[in-house]
Amino acid sequence: MQQMAMPTTEATILPPGRQARRRHRRFAYRDGNIAYLLIAPAVVLLGIFVIWPAVYAAFLSFQDWSFYKDPQFVGWRNYTNVLTDPLFWASIGRGFLFVLMTVPVMLVLAFLFASLVVAVSRRFAGLLKVSIYIPTIISTVIASIVFVLIYNYSGGLLNAFLGIFGIDPVAWIGDPAWALLAIAVPAIWLGMGLTSLIMVAGMVDIPGEYYEAAAMEGANWWQKTFFITIPQLKNIVLYLLITGFVAAIQQFELPLIMTQGGPLDSTTLPNLFIFNHFRNDINVGYSIAAALLLFVVLGTVSALVFRFVNSERLVD
Amino acid sequence: MHTRKGKLATAVVAAAAAGLLLAGCSGGGGGNETGGVTTIQFWHRTFTPVENAWYADIVKKFNAAQSEVKVVDTEVPADAWDQKMKAAQAAGKAPDIYTHSGSIQDAVNAGQLHELNGIVSDDALGQIIDSAKPVSAIGDKYYAYPLLLEPQTVLFWNKDMLSAAGVDAENGPKTWDDLFAACAKITPTLKSGQYCISPASDAVTFAWSTVGQQYNFSGHTALTDDWTAPNINDDGYKSLMANYKKLWDEGYMAKQALAAYVEGKDFGEQKVAFKVSGSWMMSEIGSDYKDLLTKTGIGAFPDATGSTDRTATTLGNFKWVVDAKSKNAKAAGAFLEWAIAGDPANLVPFFVDTQFTKVPVRQSVQEAVAASDEAADAPWSSVIVDDIAPTAIPEPTYPWDVSLAVGTAMESVMKGAASTDAAIKTAEDAIKKVIQQQDLPSKAPKN
Repeated sequence: MQQMAMPTTEATILPPGRQARRRHRRFAYRDGNIAYLLIAPAVVLLGIFVIWPAVYAAFLSFQDWSFYKDPQFVGWRNYTNVLTDPLFWASIGRGFLFVLMTVPVMLVLAFLFASLVVAVSRRFAGLLKVSIYIPTIISTVIASIVFVLIYNYSGGLLNAFLGIFGIDPVAWIGDPAWALLAIAVPAIWLGMGLTSLIMVAGMVDIPGEYYEAAAMEGANWWQKTFFITIPQLKNIVLYLLITGFVAAIQQFELPLIMTQGGPLDSTTLPNLFIFNHFRNDINVGYSIAAALLLFVVLGTVSALVFRFVNSERLVD
Repeated sequence: MHTRKGKLATAVVAAAAAGLLLAGCSGGGGGNETGGVTTIQFWHRTFTPVENAWYADIVKKFNAAQSEVKVVDTEVPADAWDQKMKAAQAAGKAPDIYTHSGSIQDAVNAGQLHELNGIVSDDALGQIIDSAKPVSAIGDKYYAYPLLLEPQTVLFWNKDMLSAAGVDAENGPKTWDDLFAACAKITPTLKSGQYCISPASDAVTFAWSTVGQQYNFSGHTALTDDWTAPNINDDGYKSLMANYKKLWDEGYMAKQALAAYVEGKDFGEQKVAFKVSGSWMMSEIGSDYKDLLTKTGIGAFPDATGSTDRTATTLGNFKWVVDAKSKNAKAAGAFLEWAIAGDPANLVPFFVDTQFTKVPVRQSVQEAVAASDEAADAPWSSVIVDDIAPTAIPEPTYPWDVSLAVGTAMESVMKGAASTDAAIKTAEDAIKKVIQQQDLPSKAPKN
């Protein structure tokens, strides 16, 4: 936006002769060859590993293909099979539920954590930041296994702890009522680190003068938070909302390792649903069509989030 | 302009070459021929330690015994098998020969398997016993050579725990009523964290491991003979589901599986008095929980009423197959024949080390295994080979989604998530969809 706005500004303040010279000078410094050369590897690799597979996937989604016989054109059949499959829609719905269970909690916790970090001494803030970031560098697979041990029905940490208070063991990952929540907890734990650090970076960037001015007017913490911090973090929150949404709805390793999608499909998130079809189906058309439809769903929701939460440049 | 285009073209070609190089650098894949030696790729799953050792050893022996074919052996973790194989198949780099379980129908329809007639001698193919033919041949064409058959639903019990509760520890429960009566006695004697029984408890496991029980209760499996409709809305299926619900409601089983169905960890740690699993679990007890070996009882899974005269188990299998796209199918066939269809002595260690829990598919191997010194110390061997296996039914040949619909219904009813009628209705709808989408009537077995 800034770059596009510049010529208009220049046009209003520079005389015509200087404008021409300036344009010429800028053109002289532009080196198209180098620019093309620099982006060529990325474009070619993207072409090979992203664009071509995507085009080929779209082609295969209209075929019946088992890797061994030539693909057979089946028209829209794979798509109608997916769209009329209640399990597909249930998995998409579950994906949204999982987003609701994880993203808002993560944002609120990260916000509170970031508020704490910017309020304490530099040294203690460093310690806090390292502690919150540690789960981020732990592999999801390891985290899944650790949480399975915690949720173990007979001998697991959580049930043993509840047992102290005389509470009967709970089938955390065996009961459809608890299983999705049981998976949301490690998801939040794993995602908190990065979310918090981005939030901290956003808060540090807010000019201190705002808070000083507010303090002079007698504003308390709540007022500063609601009238300065939150509005100033709007773009950060938007970014975290979009990335958090996409990451949560695409969550795959946690249910795969912890519950294999059960009990009673209660943790079969969209990607796991597609993966299970890919693993079990002899023909791959259904899974590809489902993956492309999920892509449409994700794209639509991201566009809607952008539509309703407009990204604006901060006014300095 | 010309130079600029030239540079651009050079950059594009260079990057494309790098990309192609990267794309070509993938692991695994088919074999090749160099210097007169044909190299073939062999993939097998990770099983118990003794089985893995046998696989490694048989490949080593074959490579040492001749110089024309070199077998490269890859052990693939069982839970990574499906995705690794799919990825290899998609890239056209599937191994030449690999292990395969379940029915061959779908794989044959998809053109995935190489015919064995022609690359394995007729004599070797002719030695496959009748009960293994449904999993190795379609019509008169062979597509797979079985290594073993194994009952997928067997009841194990901890004799000490049964005795402590005053339950007959030598003979297990014969019927479901006997099982309930035993659990009623055992449960009060258990400590916290112990349960009477650990059966299948999730939809996927129900789907494959209870097909025998479905047959036991109703006299048929999930589809009509002509595969035109689901066949699960009857008293047999309803009472099977009700029985699992009773195990759940009475607290005879844990509300969350203590260990996977296929493994014996919960039984080995003495957290359960009864364990339902495949016959293979005995070899895990033998290798990981040696103290329990003599305290473990084994028998056929309880019958619906005691008078059905029908088995309650399917006969699982592991077979070796040659990939349809293999460029060295003859070499793969030669390796297969040498390893599992030739000298019975090659196979005896496999069946002995796995504690006689699997059934060989050739008469000559069965005799050689029975004649081994160790056989006398494994009384359970006859229970599996003589009592359970002969009447067991083969795994269903209909698509997995049909089995899964039934498994989901069973889990729903057991956990009280749906009434029996509602769960059966949902399963019927799902099965009808599979029938229609995959045109099952045209694929129904002809005999």
